[in-house]
Amino acid sequence: MSIARLWHLAWRDLGRNRRRTGFTIIAVALGMALLMMTNALIAGVVDDSLQNSIMLRTGHIQLRAAGARDGELSVRWRDLLLDPGPQAAQAAALPHVTSATPVLWTSGMLASAGESVGLQVYGIDPAAPAYDRLRAALRRGQFLAADMRDGVVLGESLADTLRVDVGGQVRLTVADSAGVAREAGFIVQGVFSTGIPAFDDHAVLAPLATVQRLSDASRRASAIVIHLDDARATGEVAAALDVTGMRLQTWEQLNQQVIQTMRSASAFYVLLDAIVILIVASVIANTLLMSIFERLREIGVLLAIGMRGREVLGLMVLEAALLGAAGIVAGLAVGGAGVAYLATIGISIDRSVAGVAGDAIAISNTMYGRAVPEVFAGLALAMLAITTAAAGYPAWYAARLEPVQALRGR
Amino acid sequence: MTTTVRLERVTRRYTIGAAETRALDDVSLTIGAGEFTALVGPSGSGKTTLLQLIGCLDRPDQGVITLGDQVVTGLSADQRADLRLRSIGFVFQFFALVPVLTAFENVELPLLLAGVAAAERRARALGLLDAVGIADRAQHRPDQLSGGEQQRVAIARALAPRPLLVLADEPTANLDTANGQQAMEIMQRLNRELGTAFVFATHDPRVMHYARRIVELRDGRIVADRAAVAVA
Repeated sequence: MSIARLWHLAWRDLGRNRRRTGFTIIAVALGMALLMMTNALIAGVVDDSLQNSIMLRTGHIQLRAAGARDGELSVRWRDLLLDPGPQAAQAAALPHVTSATPVLWTSGMLASAGESVGLQVYGIDPAAPAYDRLRAALRRGQFLAADMRDGVVLGESLADTLRVDVGGQVRLTVADSAGVAREAGFIVQGVFSTGIPAFDDHAVLAPLATVQRLSDASRRASAIVIHLDDARATGEVAAALDVTGMRLQTWEQLNQQVIQTMRSASAFYVLLDAIVILIVASVIANTLLMSIFERLREIGVLLAIGMRGREVLGLMVLEAALLGAAGIVAGLAVGGAGVAYLATIGISIDRSVAGVAGDAIAISNTMYGRAVPEVFAGLALAMLAITTAAAGYPAWYAARLEPVQALRGR
Repeated sequence: MTTTVRLERVTRRYTIGAAETRALDDVSLTIGAGEFTALVGPSGSGKTTLLQLIGCLDRPDQGVITLGDQVVTGLSADQRADLRLRSIGFVFQFFALVPVLTAFENVELPLLLAGVAAAERRARALGLLDAVGIADRAQHRPDQLSGGEQQRVAIARALAPRPLLVLADEPTANLDTANGQQAMEIMQRLNRELGTAFVFATHDPRVMHYARRIVELRDGRIVADRAAVAVA
């Protein structure tokens, strides 16, 4: 008998104890929905962190001085690019490049009348499209202008820490190219909130020329930061750049820590996925085993009228597959709604929790999910395969019954 | 007369704890085509064990069982299943219908297992339900049928694959007198019309009256084997 002919009987069998079947389907559905939502969340957070880092810090490609070392904010001249304007302009003209702008980074101390905070100083070209997001994140005041000699903008949380606001005075201290501390007074021109504690708490931005003057960098910059309209074009743009005497790094190299951390987190989620799937599988196995014990005599009758052991096995496996499939379909609906909620409304987390990831990982204080259809499809298939496989023992038990044993109900 | 079943010196032992019981002890028996035979005897005499061995539901510890011209004692589980599917029908004391299927689907089930085409399955199942007098209840599930109706569905199911032999284990034990009588009359009529051999185990004297042959067992042995005058 072909397995296809057993569908009808398997389907009807599921209706014999509707409450138990219903609870089992709910268990599978909740498991599936939980898996979808956790995977959507991790995908969303990984994407969000990477995008935040690329948009606010690393760009898709960086060009730095050949001798500059990763992670260092040195303003020694040998670590800086001399007069990067022409190279930035050349890069900006390439296809896929949305912004190519010099930036000068240094570490410093920002002090108000009552507080001081160690932070990273960004000397930027305020007109560069790379800072559109920051411009949009402005809460109060105005954004920087290239000719603003004593203006800075800073994060709202940093402003709160320093207890300053727009128009307030702050003093910025940096080490110059010779290692000598230099200090200047600034007026807070604007306060922004990107929702990324790692940035808002630890960054102050000033026009490039201002930071160059303060740090005695002359016409030098730490890097040319290049943003693209499509991250997949990174290789193509990198190949087209003239990098003579410079070091080129892509967003993948620049965000290794983010990528590694998120990969480790993903491994944990795979473990979580496996645990959820195994719990669901054990529910299915238990349901089938109970179902088999309840109808041993009936299985005996099926064997007596000529059903083969492997057909009994097929029947049990089909019942598990149907239970699994029904649960997965329900789970896709529930999980889909949950993922839609996560993608649009997200989960607000305390900024201290978002900050736990550290400065290198730019987690927003609202975590959004992202639908990952290929992952959902894989999870659904894995769930179906494992719930079906969970029928293995009960099905094997039923299939090896001698008709006479089954008819006696033992 | 053609032989349908032959048992030669068949023994079946059961071990319960340290004690061994001979449910059947060196039994030889031949059932001819078209017979309507009753196995009688008190509880524990071996009637059900004998039916299970004839029906390939169990294997003997000793002896040879032949169904038609095929020795069945050495067959694999799958071969025995095939033999049951095509050559043997069963009617059980507890009706034994699949509760989630309708009367029609229960009768159709062995035909489905045998791979019979849909149109023929339908024709045969409806024909048999008509023959047992419950065609109008074809779409009812077992829990919507009386005990007598369920047993008639079971008789129809047993006959669906057109077997050589139908084995019925206490087919009237769970029926009242009228329904029991009706079930026996149906089996007797179908035995005559179709030529299918029926062997039924019973200790109900009213049922024995329908048999044309009575085989009496006691303590696992055949103690009497005699022709009977069946009621018409």
